[in-house]
Amino acid sequence: MATAAEQTPAAAPPDPAGPAVEAVGVTHSFGGVHALRNASFSADFGEVHALVGENGAGKSTMIKILCGVLRPDEGSIRLKGEEVRLLSPKRGRELGVATVFQELTLLPWLTVAENLLLANEPRGRLHLVRRGRLWPAAASVLERYGVDGVDPRELAGRLPLALQQRIEIVRALLEKPDVLFLDEPTSTLAEREVQWLFALVRELRDANTCVIFTSHRWREIERIADRITVFRSGEHVATRVSATEDEAVTLMTGRTIERIYPHRSPAPTGDPALEVSDLAADGVNGCSFAVRPGEILGIGGLAGQGQRELFMTIFGARRAKHGTITVAGRVRRIRSPSDAIKAGIGISLVPEDRKTEGLLLPMSVRDNLTLAVLDRFSSGGFLRPRPERAAVADMLSQLQIKTQRPQTQEVGKLSGGNQQKVLIARSMLATPTVLLLYDITRGVDIGTKHDLYELIAKLAADGKAVVFYSSETEEMAHLCHRVLVMR
Amino acid sequence: MTAIAAAFGNLGPIRRRVIYAYGAAIAIFLVGQVLHPGFAGGDSVRTILLVASFVGLVAAGQTLVILIGGIDLSVPWVLNGAAILLVTTGLGQNGRLPEALALTLGMGLAVGFANGVGVAYVGVPAVVMTLGMNGIMQGLSLGLSQGLTCQACTSYAPPLLQHIELNTVLGIPEQVVLWIAVTIAVTVVLGATAFGRRTYAIGNNPTAAFLAGIRVKRVTVILYMLSGFFSALAGIMLVSYGGQASLGLGDPYLFQSIAAVVIGGASILGGRGTYLGSAAGAITLVALVTLLSAENIPEYGRSIVYGVTILALLLLYGRERRH
Amino acid sequence: MASAEHAVPAPPGVDRGAVWRHVSLQNAPLILSLLILLGTTGLYIVFFNSNTGGLPGSFELTSLANTTLPLIFAALGQTVVVLTRGIDLSVGGMMDLSNSLAAAEMHATLGSELLWSAIIIAIGAAGGLLNGLLVVYARLQPILVTIATLSIFQGLAIAVLPQPGGAIPSAYTSVLTNPNQPTSLAYVAFVMLAWVAFRRSSFGIATFAVGNDQDAARARGIAVDRTKVLVYTLSGMLAAIAGLFLAASATAGDATTGDVYILQSIAAVVLGGISFAGGRGSGVGAVAGAFTLTLLVNVLFFAGINPLYQQFYQGLFLITAIVLGAGIARLGRVGRIGR
Repeated sequence: MATAAEQTPAAAPPDPAGPAVEAVGVTHSFGGVHALRNASFSADFGEVHALVGENGAGKSTMIKILCGVLRPDEGSIRLKGEEVRLLSPKRGRELGVATVFQELTLLPWLTVAENLLLANEPRGRLHLVRRGRLWPAAASVLERYGVDGVDPRELAGRLPLALQQRIEIVRALLEKPDVLFLDEPTSTLAEREVQWLFALVRELRDANTCVIFTSHRWREIERIADRITVFRSGEHVATRVSATEDEAVTLMTGRTIERIYPHRSPAPTGDPALEVSDLAADGVNGCSFAVRPGEILGIGGLAGQGQRELFMTIFGARRAKHGTITVAGRVRRIRSPSDAIKAGIGISLVPEDRKTEGLLLPMSVRDNLTLAVLDRFSSGGFLRPRPERAAVADMLSQLQIKTQRPQTQEVGKLSGGNQQKVLIARSMLATPTVLLLYDITRGVDIGTKHDLYELIAKLAADGKAVVFYSSETEEMAHLCHRVLVMR
Repeated sequence: MTAIAAAFGNLGPIRRRVIYAYGAAIAIFLVGQVLHPGFAGGDSVRTILLVASFVGLVAAGQTLVILIGGIDLSVPWVLNGAAILLVTTGLGQNGRLPEALALTLGMGLAVGFANGVGVAYVGVPAVVMTLGMNGIMQGLSLGLSQGLTCQACTSYAPPLLQHIELNTVLGIPEQVVLWIAVTIAVTVVLGATAFGRRTYAIGNNPTAAFLAGIRVKRVTVILYMLSGFFSALAGIMLVSYGGQASLGLGDPYLFQSIAAVVIGGASILGGRGTYLGSAAGAITLVALVTLLSAENIPEYGRSIVYGVTILALLLLYGRERRH
Repeated sequence: MASAEHAVPAPPGVDRGAVWRHVSLQNAPLILSLLILLGTTGLYIVFFNSNTGGLPGSFELTSLANTTLPLIFAALGQTVVVLTRGIDLSVGGMMDLSNSLAAAEMHATLGSELLWSAIIIAIGAAGGLLNGLLVVYARLQPILVTIATLSIFQGLAIAVLPQPGGAIPSAYTSVLTNPNQPTSLAYVAFVMLAWVAFRRSSFGIATFAVGNDQDAARARGIAVDRTKVLVYTLSGMLAAIAGLFLAASATAGDATTGDVYILQSIAAVVLGGISFAGGRGSGVGAVAGAFTLTLLVNVLFFAGINPLYQQFYQGLFLITAIVLGAGIARLGRVGRIGR
């Protein structure tokens, strides 16, 4: 049940007119599962307020309710002191609330200018858009908000991810909101871009805007937030002016995690399991490295320097222009993921976006788990259910994935953490010698991250060669034996 | 009663739709029986099943292709082309039958191969690729047979084939037995083989399937080849039934096969559905059409009622999920 | 937001060359479709000449345009629907119905012609509205809805005109598809202008947005449902207009001559470089595609190709065009938003 908000006096006195947004006693469920239970939240004008919690703690749901995307089952919302009923996001916008969600709302085949000025285009006779004016209008907007290097005529879909994110943020700022919600705005941004964002956020705060954002990166929260609210399991747990990371983790998970990162085994020696020599592909220029069994090798560098392309090329999902891949001493031609996974080669990849590249959401846990190794469970093309069931049960217990009936449980209904585990289990079932893990902790809560770190350490200890990429350099620093930087 | 309702609810939406589809078929038979006593009787049911088997055969291929999010618009002229090819190579002689069958079914596989390669390897949208192939097959069929006026064109199907249409096994026409065998085969392949599991995976998420090591392009080509095969098979069966080839033989089967697949519970976007459902859809459609002809409704009325009924059935269980 | 006075030229570091690059990349499918049209026109002139020794003149041009007008309207209707990621298979049926009604009901008086034109267009709107409501509010897939309504419209068409016959007033023909005056070109010009206006209207922008990403469009405040309903309604109206032109060019009615336009309109859309995934494409391309198809028939005729093989060449042409288009699209790779 709701605990009283633990409030220490705020550093800057709140606007005397009262909170900018307030949610009181909000409850909301999705098909029987409580996302929010009698939860409360309030943020003031002229402050930067961080909303933190594990995945599933209710942060996104609270934001969606406060901007009008969802209507709460119970409870009330106040904007600028007045109780409101937000029947649609449009209503929220009318009341001065703007939101940048994790799912960007850019339209890929429209230009940057058309995206920015959507519904606000310069008009001429007969209320028709004057296309010639779109470009300069957008250019000056981009200039005003400090986004350079973007041609307003460029199609939004051709921009790199970080730039798309920044355009989305500018889009929200154009609405001149009184309250701005930013849901994980920095997940795709490099340090310089994060600085750009925080400069804008400070500008907004000084102009008395209320800025509320969520993030999984504690460093950022420390830098920018005036106050921090912690949610756990759909309830408000605490609101603080400051907190250490350990305090925050304890509040978010309800338990103390002694050490987030597992003990690192000594660096192995021996013949490499995987050797890449002068590998080149689209986005990859002559990479060479080796990784040994039992080693965790990090591939680092700023986002978008070719790490994803490198992983995909090694896995056979992209065509290599030249270079060789040597597995266990033999040069191999890997032309497709199907080649890579095969027993003789044994490379498995866990992709970054489990929902769009990894899992088949409507299919069962069992189907998802065994997808890569169906041949192992079939004779003459026909599937043999009993060996399949046994292998599935074994994997589920190894990774502690809780699910009632794996044969029929839809994987899309599992929690994010369990979904990620299923995806990793699929790779493990293929008994690989080399595991390519690409940003597998993105968007995963701290509790699951901890489990995943333990798993990675164990995989290495079992003799697998692990190639690891994470958008959080700190993770790589703690987990990996060596880190190579791509530029 | 509640236990049955609970068990029914637990079946899952796909299986429920299959049951609805069979239920719809039965409902039409009952309505028909009321309006025309004898409609649900042995002879009538036998005939309806016979006619439905043609739709069902085409729907087998269409189901496979729709399951991966594609579609096969080349059905009309692969079917028609197959009919013409069979009679012109068979020339009404049993001795030439193996050659004729091989050639005709091979043609279906070849067209399917072209479709599959275009869709999977070249990236042509399925609508366009199969539409274009349909035109190509139409042109070839008309051109090579000189508008069906060539000398061999008036041949009959070889007698052995004609007998399949007429003979019965335990009172069931051999043609229907063939359809039942196809139904079992396709259902087993989809439900109990690695190939079937991969097909559903591709239909659900081609990228994820690819990254899980499935050879998406290869499976796609195979599925389109099977669709071409079934269209050709239907053409062979039709011409055996009717005796001679004619032009426009395949036209009704395109929309009917698509409708049968959807009524059977498959999603046109791919990833969901079974052939059992499509088979039920075929029976439902043919029963409906037969009932409408029996009602002595003029042709235009039949079209209208046909369309309205499809809409009604779709409204019942053809709706996509709400976001 | 900047007003016109602050017009900033291309941002620093971006030059004129980049602007042209963007414009051509983004419009690559349209440019390809225009090139295809140009190529086909070239072939037409060549074969016309080798067959008759002369060059196509104003008579041929007018006749060509008159023949193409029904397809132009049908293709435009298909275009707006395809832009939203849908498809309209009922255009052929609506053309049948429109054709039949015109042949059966129109009398040779100005009043009757105007009245029945209006009624027929209204019926087209109603049919399209039905499609739209079923797609949006019943959440049925467009291909399935329009297969069903196709059947309904075809039935109604036969009910109105069970046998080919009826009569289109000759005055009507001379206004719509005059064989002696280039009125057809006026219609084509009007259609192009209408497209330009559509592209710059709120409705048009909403259409493109919906086709790009329905959910994102909704989050941006676009009235997605209303746009989709309107798009199908517009398609129905355009199909009805296409039927009127069809009737005018044939002078007598036939309840089935519209059917061939189902696949023809799709072919025109394909040749026009419009993507079936929605969100991109130009009506100008659809018009070009329609002309290409008509020219192709003439090319085959003048080249002496056995008419029985006509479909063969059309199919081959279609596939080749799209393969070329796919190759070009690879040049302007656009990824997903947010990967």
